[in-house]
Amino acid sequence: MRLAFLLLIFMPLAGWAQTCTFSVSGKVEDERGMPLVGATIQLIKDKKGTISDETGKFQLAQLCAGKYEVEIRYVGYQTITTSLKVPFNKPWTITMQSDSTSLNEVVIEDKHTNLAVTSTYSSLSGKLLEETMGKSLGESMREIPGVNTIQTGPAIFKPVIHGVHSQRVLILNNGIRQEGQNWGVEHAPEVDQFIASNIIVIKDAAAIKYGADALGGVVLVNPAKLPTEAGVGGQLHTIFASNNGSGVISGFLEGGSKKWPGFGWRAQATIKKAGDSRAANYVLSNTGFEEQNFSLSTAYHTEKSGIDIFYSHFNTSIGILRGTAVATAEDLAIALERDVPQYTTAFTYDIKQPRQSVQHDLVKINAHLEKGKNEFRLQYGLQSNRRTEYDFRLGALTEIPALGFQLYTHTLDAEWERTHSSRWQSSWGINALYQTNSKVDGTQTIPFIPNFDHITMGLFVVEKISLQQWMLELGLRYDVKKYDVAGFDFKNKLYRSSIDFQNASGTVSVKRKITNTSTFTSSLSSAWRPPNMAELYSIGTHQSAASIEYGLLLNEITSEVKPYAKSGVNVEKAFKWVVGYKLERPRFTTEITGYMNYIFDFIYLKPRGVTQSLRGIFPYFRYTQTDASFMGIDFFSNYKINSFWTLTGKASYLRATDETQNDYLVFIPANRVDLGVRYESNPEKKWSWSAESKLRWVANQSRAPQVITPRQIIDAQAQGIDIVAQRPGNFDFKAAPGGYALISLSVGATWKLKSSKCEIRLSTDNLTNQSFREYTNRLRYFADDVGRNITLGLHYSF
Amino acid sequence: MKSLRFSFLVLMSGSLIFLAGCSKDDPKPENIPEAITKATFTFTPATGSPVVVTATDSDGEGPNPRVLSGPIALTKNVTYTLTITMINELAATTAPEYNVTDEVEEEAAEHLFFFAWTNNTFSNPAGNGNIDARADLVNYNDKDANNLPLGLSTAWTTINATGSGKFRVVLKHQPELKSATSTASDGESDLDVEFDLTVN
Repeated sequence: MRLAFLLLIFMPLAGWAQTCTFSVSGKVEDERGMPLVGATIQLIKDKKGTISDETGKFQLAQLCAGKYEVEIRYVGYQTITTSLKVPFNKPWTITMQSDSTSLNEVVIEDKHTNLAVTSTYSSLSGKLLEETMGKSLGESMREIPGVNTIQTGPAIFKPVIHGVHSQRVLILNNGIRQEGQNWGVEHAPEVDQFIASNIIVIKDAAAIKYGADALGGVVLVNPAKLPTEAGVGGQLHTIFASNNGSGVISGFLEGGSKKWPGFGWRAQATIKKAGDSRAANYVLSNTGFEEQNFSLSTAYHTEKSGIDIFYSHFNTSIGILRGTAVATAEDLAIALERDVPQYTTAFTYDIKQPRQSVQHDLVKINAHLEKGKNEFRLQYGLQSNRRTEYDFRLGALTEIPALGFQLYTHTLDAEWERTHSSRWQSSWGINALYQTNSKVDGTQTIPFIPNFDHITMGLFVVEKISLQQWMLELGLRYDVKKYDVAGFDFKNKLYRSSIDFQNASGTVSVKRKITNTSTFTSSLSSAWRPPNMAELYSIGTHQSAASIEYGLLLNEITSEVKPYAKSGVNVEKAFKWVVGYKLERPRFTTEITGYMNYIFDFIYLKPRGVTQSLRGIFPYFRYTQTDASFMGIDFFSNYKINSFWTLTGKASYLRATDETQNDYLVFIPANRVDLGVRYESNPEKKWSWSAESKLRWVANQSRAPQVITPRQIIDAQAQGIDIVAQRPGNFDFKAAPGGYALISLSVGATWKLKSSKCEIRLSTDNLTNQSFREYTNRLRYFADDVGRNITLGLHYSF
Repeated sequence: MKSLRFSFLVLMSGSLIFLAGCSKDDPKPENIPEAITKATFTFTPATGSPVVVTATDSDGEGPNPRVLSGPIALTKNVTYTLTITMINELAATTAPEYNVTDEVEEEAAEHLFFFAWTNNTFSNPAGNGNIDARADLVNYNDKDANNLPLGLSTAWTTINATGSGKFRVVLKHQPELKSATSTASDGESDLDVEFDLTVN
């Protein structure tokens, strides 16, 4: 078996005899050099064609000598018709002009973000990404098929890919693993959405070179490529929203140098300020937020090499609905029984407790060098993440954070890619990570997670082979990890611990070109993830609903912390199978992805019973391991009726099961369907306009676990019964909310000047001011979701 | 193949040892001012020895259950003064956080004790207490700066008969909420304990 496997990798791949043996390869880019993923390159007469891959590259093989008419198409860009004379031996770069309704699309430059060509991915870029401007990264990702969010109120969104989230979803911000306190469901990714020029979601764990722990998938947030030619350009965006009275200003200036061709720079900044959001019938008090971010980047590139330096600062302060601040089961019972949350007051921009404040800084340096068939890449990143959370506390303590951590992360990635032939490419690489977490001293609480040092070293190899209609990718990875931990138990007594992990992971995927416009992919991958600090050691409460959380290593009887070795705790291991079908015709595109992810020793917070303190009784949750499966289908389709009208449809279906207990899991996104109709006038004109209407329908989550209300817990407790212990299995405090349907409308106008462009867009979300609750929003226990929101966006680029 | 794998492991673990060489310093422990680990309820009659019950929970939010002493054994037809003291043994005895009673007193304007009892075991106050309805009678001996009751000290006269029931004390933290009408449903619970009570 192993021999056959090796043969497959190293088999000489030359020599297929054909009559027409010429091939033409090239790259599709936008005006600014950004690769266009999935552009159609078609030989008009021959009904032959291909699609550009994730790096914009394409190859037309088996061509005969002669002249061809070629048509290149990409949604949102002007179609190009050109002639091609074969043989054509130079690399062919096709630059597409965006049609007037899109602002200049920006670029992936960092070659580290190159995707495995056989992977199943979806992306958000160009016009669609632009329309989400002003939203947080997590929220804008909801536009991507198969991606949902787990939410804590109107400002905190975490992406959920195929049912899993937090540390099972790896976010690469500008090529660097985003490292924050991302164990918390209420800890959103610290990334300025305005930095992104495209967001790509890889749904099979095939992105093996990014890490072994991406059980759900990988999110790539890519900024635009820096200019390499002289001149100054920029963009300015201002967005106002009625619901929370928010204002957003974001923009950048960029340029190149005449004196030093290849040198480029950019300075970018975003400021956001929002007050309380409003549900259909009341104000969601203390849900305001603010954000101040900026980034600076510079690069120098020659044809075969380049160096990039990037710095970004992200600063946010977010209020959490005041009515969620409850202490005991009694308080929780009362809060759940209310129609309008406690402490609902008039609209304000003030952010009070409970609130969180996060500062995230990233410095990144990367270099690449091409030499013959080899390409070398090296990148170093340093991240500083400081998170403080404030709660209502006794007296002056309210002004002291109840939780505070400072996390430093160094990452070093090196990769060597060798293109052996046009059919075979290998890459080898190493990823190293060193991380230290320390509590902010003076919180006067037992730290929720311990101080720790964390080291990971990983080696990977990826082989890509193409055989006519088939493409095969094999990846193998080995990681070694070490945690060094020092924390405090419930009696405020110090404990120290050291844990080592090591494991292998791998992936096999194939892609088959069925016709010129359609492909089929299938991939099988394994991934593993050691339990994180919160899962192992968490003690007490954080900004979550009146529950005490105990880590896997906490002894329930003695309150002490157990050593890992004898605890019976395992790492999470996942096997994921993804099949995808893509059809990309000029007028009709469709994308269907089916998946099955089986996770052994899946770690989740399981309600275990009630614990009593002198403050009253508390429901308590313990991190528990079970085997879980996630099966589902994502669907996306786009149909161009004529040059003005487009229909879109999107659906996701997910079925998650706790296999060990034969039960349901909580907070699994409900099935949903999105439909849209869009009108766009002729983009060639000086003035153009567009209008869109969308309908989002979300089903009721019928696969939700049993309900035990806090009131039932208290009443049972009064009779000396621990109802939670008596009714095993998973439960939730409140039944899943019903399904809902939301309508949104938007109209936009664009005015094109010589080299600049003005755009105005007015849109309305939740047009009918529907009161609804989203199952994966943790605020659903306490309050309705956000009501009608009218947004006005003004965009200028030059 | 085997030796390759071995040398690879050696290389990886070698670099790990190198990186892990610098061991962490012990983090500084925090004072934990907000926990109440012991609450003492002292019923002092005009003459005779006081009746004392305690509620203890040495690990605060930890998994160990609280321990209540009791029952509260009172004598019939006697007037008692109930004083409540709370300490936090997770803080050093010398730290200001150790004495929670003082903190509650300092922040009297944000705190209020509520009481409830069953089976009409008191003649004054009569009824069942103010947890279910704020207007119900409880005899507070102390007041905050806004002239609203606090409850660290309260007065109780037992019935002139034998009886038994439950006696529950709830301390609510009501920042910006405490008023003449704020109820036991407002704010957050700092203390919520229930004892058995006998009158003989």
